[in-house]
Amino acid sequence: MYCYNCGRRLAKPDFCTSCGADVGLYKKVLHVSNMYYNEGLEKAGVRDLTGAVVSLRQSLKFNKNNLQARNLLGLVYFEMGEVVTALSEWVISKNIQPEKNIADEYIEKVRSNSARLDSVNQTIKKYNHSLSLCKQGSKDLAVIQLKKVLSLNPRFIRAHQLLALLYMDKGDWERAERELRKCMEIDKNNLQTLRYLREVELLLAPEEAEKPPARRKKEEAIRYQSENELIIRPVNVKEPKRSGISTLVNLGIGLIIGVVAACYLAVPAAQSKVRNEDQQVITKISNESDAKTARIQELEDQITGLQGDIEGLRGQIEGFVGTDGTLESIERILETAASYLETGDVFAAESELAAISQSVDMSAMTAGYERLHQAVFNAIRPDLAAAYFERGSNYFRIGEYGEAIVALLPAVEYNPEEVEALYMLGEAYRMNGDEENAVAVYDKVMELFPGTWRANSARQSKGQLTGIW
Amino acid sequence: MINFEEELKKFHPSLEVEEAEDAIYNQDLTDMADLLVKMIVGSGQGAAQGLEEEQ
Repeated sequence: MYCYNCGRRLAKPDFCTSCGADVGLYKKVLHVSNMYYNEGLEKAGVRDLTGAVVSLRQSLKFNKNNLQARNLLGLVYFEMGEVVTALSEWVISKNIQPEKNIADEYIEKVRSNSARLDSVNQTIKKYNHSLSLCKQGSKDLAVIQLKKVLSLNPRFIRAHQLLALLYMDKGDWERAERELRKCMEIDKNNLQTLRYLREVELLLAPEEAEKPPARRKKEEAIRYQSENELIIRPVNVKEPKRSGISTLVNLGIGLIIGVVAACYLAVPAAQSKVRNEDQQVITKISNESDAKTARIQELEDQITGLQGDIEGLRGQIEGFVGTDGTLESIERILETAASYLETGDVFAAESELAAISQSVDMSAMTAGYERLHQAVFNAIRPDLAAAYFERGSNYFRIGEYGEAIVALLPAVEYNPEEVEALYMLGEAYRMNGDEENAVAVYDKVMELFPGTWRANSARQSKGQLTGIW
Repeated sequence: MINFEEELKKFHPSLEVEEAEDAIYNQDLTDMADLLVKMIVGSGQGAAQGLEEEQ
């Protein structure tokens, strides 16, 4: 005990022998704190952990520096499964006295095992989650979570109590009692546990509730813990002796019941499972089949379209290519040119070229083909114009003006420079009675060949027709 | 008869490891000894001031 004023160790007198400060009341306060610590220690010794917590907290209210009380409070919390609260107390203790403090050892033990610390944290999170599930009304889920919590931290009293409360709410009094007994083993004097236990005992056996439970337990059964299981062995209960035949009969009955249960419960369930799986497989295959059918239809449509394209292209190719593989129309042009050169039959060459032009789509042909066609035609054009002019002249001379017009029109077209042909066309129109076209042709002669004697003749002929000179 | 809803209100979330630091910092550590020392020191200062005023 040290002086609050100068920090010197205090002796028996009620004043500090070093600074003279009055420490009478201060000593009494520290004594009260120690008294509560002793009380807490005694309670912890008999596993009255709740009582110990109350006493130790009181002790710390009087003297926060009572490290023994604080360290013990941490231990008690740890025993109750409140690991974080325990750690908090030990950290404060270590902060007050960093050296030679048992709290340092406790903290190190918890910290050194990171898996354990992680497990503790997970436990707390799951407990908090299950508490929120309870508040939301998901009691079954909360029970599952709490069971996990207790498998990780079997000393977590609050989790036991909450689980017991949930069992009580469900009316599962036996399980609730089991959980509360586990609480009692950890903390014997927890008011909440005692309250719940009394309620459970009243509901389980109202007439026996008044009897002390420990005594009844001793009389009826021997209970002991084997790992995580609580074994309850009844006392004074003997198995009735049975003969061998009855045992066999019972075994047979049991076997029959088992088989019947399997037939009515397990087999239909297995069959249903298999059916479901088959149905899923069928659905999957059906879906795949539908997708493939749609794909096939799509491909068939594509094939139909492509067949049409192929037919069109084949027609085009047949237009270009002969049966022996040569380009038929080119061959025809070349043959036409050769025939013309051999026979000099210009009209035959013209009609053949016109036929070739009609048989193919000239716009779709290659530039070389067009040039070849044009070159052949240009080669025969002067002779063709002359031949048509000669034919027209012949018809004109014999008075066949209609035929003469038919022959002279291409003559003028193929050789526009031939003024005689043009003038003769005008004359043929005039003689055929087509004055309008005759005047038009005369105007063309005057326009294209001004100053020539044919232009004068055209003017005179036009004057004769129209009366305008 | 125990009322589940009422009993459930008595359960509070447990302190998680991440919250421990805040819990430690926020803990009120004032004890009876602190209050007593404050009172004694305060009364001593008052007496000293009284003496000074008398002189």
